[in-house]
Amino acid sequence: MRRLLWPSVFLALAIAYPLLLASPFQQRLGALVLLYAIAASAWNIVGGYAGQVSVGHVVFFGCGAYAAMGSYAKFGLSPLFGIPGGIVIAVALAAIIGVPTLRLSGHYFSMATIAVAETMRLIVTNTEWLGAAVGLSGPTVARNVFDLSFISSLPYYYLFLGVLVITLLITWWMTNSRMGFYLRAIKDSERAARSLGAPASRTKLYAFMLSAALTSVAGALYAMMVGFVDPESGLGILISVKILIMAALGGAGLLFGPVVGAAILVPLEEISNSWLGGKGAGLTFVVYGAIILLIARFQPGGILSLINRTVGKDRKPARAEGAGHAP
Amino acid sequence: MSLILVQVIVGGLLLGAVYALFSSGLTLVWGMMNIVNFAHGDFVMLGMYVAFVVYTLMGGGPILGAPLATLVLATLGVIVYFGLIRDIMKGPMLAQILGTFGLALLLRYSVFWWFGANFQSLPQNIVGGTYAVAGLRIEASRLLAGVVALLVTLGLHLLLTRTSLGSKMLAVAEDATAAQLMGIRPDTMQAIAWAIAAGATGLAGALIANFFYIVPTVGETLGIVAFVTVSLGGFGSVPGALVAGLLIGVIESLSGYLIGAVYKDIVVYLLFLFFLWFRPQGLMGKM
Amino acid sequence: MRFKHALGLLSAAAMSLALAGAATAQDKTVKIGVILPMSGGTASIGAHAKAALEVAVDIINNAHPELEKLPLAKNAGLAGLSGAKVELVIADNQGSPATGQNQALRLITEEKVVAILGAYQSGITLTASAIAEKYGIPFLTPESVAANLTERGFKWFFRTTPIAPDFVRIYDQFLTDMKAAGAKTDAIALVHDNTEYGSSVANTIATGFKEKGRAGVIDVAYPVNATDLQSQVLQLKEKKPDVVLMISYTSDAILFAKTMQSLDYKPPLLLADDAGYSDPSFIKAVGKLSQGVFNRSAWAVGPAGSPSAVVADMYKKKSGEEMEDTVGRQMQGFFVLVDAIDRAGSTDPAKIQAALKATDLKPDQLIMGYQGVKFDDKGQNVLASAYIIQLQDGENYVSVWPKTNAEKAPMLPYKGW
Repeated sequence: MRRLLWPSVFLALAIAYPLLLASPFQQRLGALVLLYAIAASAWNIVGGYAGQVSVGHVVFFGCGAYAAMGSYAKFGLSPLFGIPGGIVIAVALAAIIGVPTLRLSGHYFSMATIAVAETMRLIVTNTEWLGAAVGLSGPTVARNVFDLSFISSLPYYYLFLGVLVITLLITWWMTNSRMGFYLRAIKDSERAARSLGAPASRTKLYAFMLSAALTSVAGALYAMMVGFVDPESGLGILISVKILIMAALGGAGLLFGPVVGAAILVPLEEISNSWLGGKGAGLTFVVYGAIILLIARFQPGGILSLINRTVGKDRKPARAEGAGHAP
Repeated sequence: MSLILVQVIVGGLLLGAVYALFSSGLTLVWGMMNIVNFAHGDFVMLGMYVAFVVYTLMGGGPILGAPLATLVLATLGVIVYFGLIRDIMKGPMLAQILGTFGLALLLRYSVFWWFGANFQSLPQNIVGGTYAVAGLRIEASRLLAGVVALLVTLGLHLLLTRTSLGSKMLAVAEDATAAQLMGIRPDTMQAIAWAIAAGATGLAGALIANFFYIVPTVGETLGIVAFVTVSLGGFGSVPGALVAGLLIGVIESLSGYLIGAVYKDIVVYLLFLFFLWFRPQGLMGKM
Repeated sequence: MRFKHALGLLSAAAMSLALAGAATAQDKTVKIGVILPMSGGTASIGAHAKAALEVAVDIINNAHPELEKLPLAKNAGLAGLSGAKVELVIADNQGSPATGQNQALRLITEEKVVAILGAYQSGITLTASAIAEKYGIPFLTPESVAANLTERGFKWFFRTTPIAPDFVRIYDQFLTDMKAAGAKTDAIALVHDNTEYGSSVANTIATGFKEKGRAGVIDVAYPVNATDLQSQVLQLKEKKPDVVLMISYTSDAILFAKTMQSLDYKPPLLLADDAGYSDPSFIKAVGKLSQGVFNRSAWAVGPAGSPSAVVADMYKKKSGEEMEDTVGRQMQGFFVLVDAIDRAGSTDPAKIQAALKATDLKPDQLIMGYQGVKFDDKGQNVLASAYIIQLQDGENYVSVWPKTNAEKAPMLPYKGW
């Protein structure tokens, strides 16, 4: 039962946060933290646990965002339809992308995902039906509650919190299942795992599809809150990088790593922007860049790995290693 | 073949040589240290700003700007190696992305803070106008960049294959521990590799500045081209980067002219993915 | 325990959120929120606009009898609010629609601004103004031209700038006049990038020209921030249009000018749709290669001593740059907004909204060459207009059209370098 104690406290705190800090901006920041935590946790399944560093995850994010805005703009439906719609498209796309690219190792996989993401962005930019460069808008004035167009950030906050809990439960369930066992084996040594009979290709593909589905949910939720998507904000490569950085900074391959990463980076970005952005001297990004750099330099495994090490954690966490040089 | 089509291809070759020029540094460190440098485009940008400062302060053209940019960036390369890369190399690939992306933002916005966000440009004829040969027009500044691209590629290739320094560097790339047992210091070799790579990138930036605009965010535009060029050519293959650069340049020019410029990048990416499918090691890379 | 520390970090993050909320209210100042791109590829526009708005604040807050024709200039502060001063709160939109929205929310709820001006990129104006609409705060865009912005049934949204249908009218009349003056204007090439601005303006112009009986429009699209534009210039060279209309941002405008020179291509008439061609960086970089380019602009310096000349002088002192259309439209939008607050005599949003709706400014009360400012039901300024200016000597634009406002006669054909 002790294992459930801290997650429960953490959850209770998350539920109480918007009620304790009631300013609309803080509530919205909280909602954004949860949103990016969902996206980064989804990325973590394939990038952290399977060790396949995807830099093109924004493709799936875009699937959800475009499905949500498309259901409203094209069919007059509630953007909520974007959640199942986005999942279907994202999983199908993940299968198509995954089969040829997942056999690539390390950097080649990362580059392939960048190329796929950029191709999709360019295709959508030139597709009139998807709003081309202008983008798609959601309902500006809500027709009913299912349009999810609220003044307050509270409904979004609790919706995102619910989805985050589900995402973490799925991740937790996955790591403790046969699939998680295979993934750990593959990440340590794919060749060894294969020779021991682990279905490496299939396992990686399933992880990729699961991750894609959850990322698309994050995209749909994002679009509902912002009420707009265009190729840059729905399919831009920077969003992939942002998601990846949150997971890596918190601790990739750790259940709560992406949550910690999001809880640090989202407020850091918004608050430094609020304080420094208006001066127009670029200082926001000097600070942001320096902090990321320092964490990578001194804590390459992410912030949570520091805590695990200093406290001398009894249970060995999944190693926060991607491909590339291992010591 | 119409003259215009010839001009398109010639233009594409010159463009491709430029792509190759600013990609060679990236492929070198990528191949040698298996490290992805997300700040690469910003190294090019710094080279451009060195050339710009040389011009505005001293009125000097590429004769002064190019060597100085090479020197400044080579120094920066060594600093970055000892300050950041040496440590994140030992970490996971994610730490490399994290670290070099942080570095990219830091460099980009430090320049932004210092020089402002305005677009800058060097005078059009700083290298010497445009040659008209048999109806074809070739800009001297682009030709210079193209020739230097060939020289840099050749130089790096000879360095790696024909000199003892090159063999030592390759030995470290192959197996750092074994190399150390042979009395080679991996740290020194890798620092030299970073100096060469960053220097070549600075040189590229200084030469591109002769015909391109200069702005703090220009690295974003150029960085992604370098990534594709290097992957297509094969990570670590300097000749591969040249071939891939030329190929991408010609394809971009031709598809831009024949089917429309908004589709040219799609063509390049699809070609790249197609190659990955059949030849994941790139055009000239090793498995 | 792992969670304990995670918790510590989270509560630290929460504390910093709480700190962000500490804003102090000041008396006797009217805060106006401004959302601009202050970082990323379009940051130079944000920097220029910031300087221009600071000049505007100076004009409003201090006595400037030499500008007495402009509302608010003569006295110090806002007469309608017993001399209250205005204060800018500038926020960076980082080129992201979500960030634009976050900052709009912060400006409204934390900084307690009474109105918002912004947000340059149409997509960000779209999302940021949706927040203002929900909170019932006036939002004025001096710049964003996307057609759909005023089609959303918003009650708190206003736009002072001319938009694409206005451009069609202006270009059509201009080309008709040029034809009468002996220029060939039959085949027109629309060269534009694939951004929201480039493609939507090009679309509107293409359909508008067709309706006005101008056939023979060639479309040449290219990706924004292109690394190379030789193919596009060669396409133009081959198709030989009579008029080339450029719809481009600064980066591509500079590269086009350089590439056109190196490939020795000069269209008989080169006309630019504002944006990059108005950027002082463009003139500094390649003005000498673009002599004779026509450009749309509602800004003209005017004779010495005229309000616009005085303002241009102040702006140059502040920023070191020449005043141009883009920042002029920003400044004009800001004046319109503050004028409405002054007339409302209150910082109550509803009263400001009513005052904005009642706005009726005459041409001599403006620094820009609009025929006035008057909003329709959708919030669009129906009197927005523009001149055509020309870069005759490669250093300074002069207004050449319409005749009533021209400093010099148009120079044809395009000279280039």
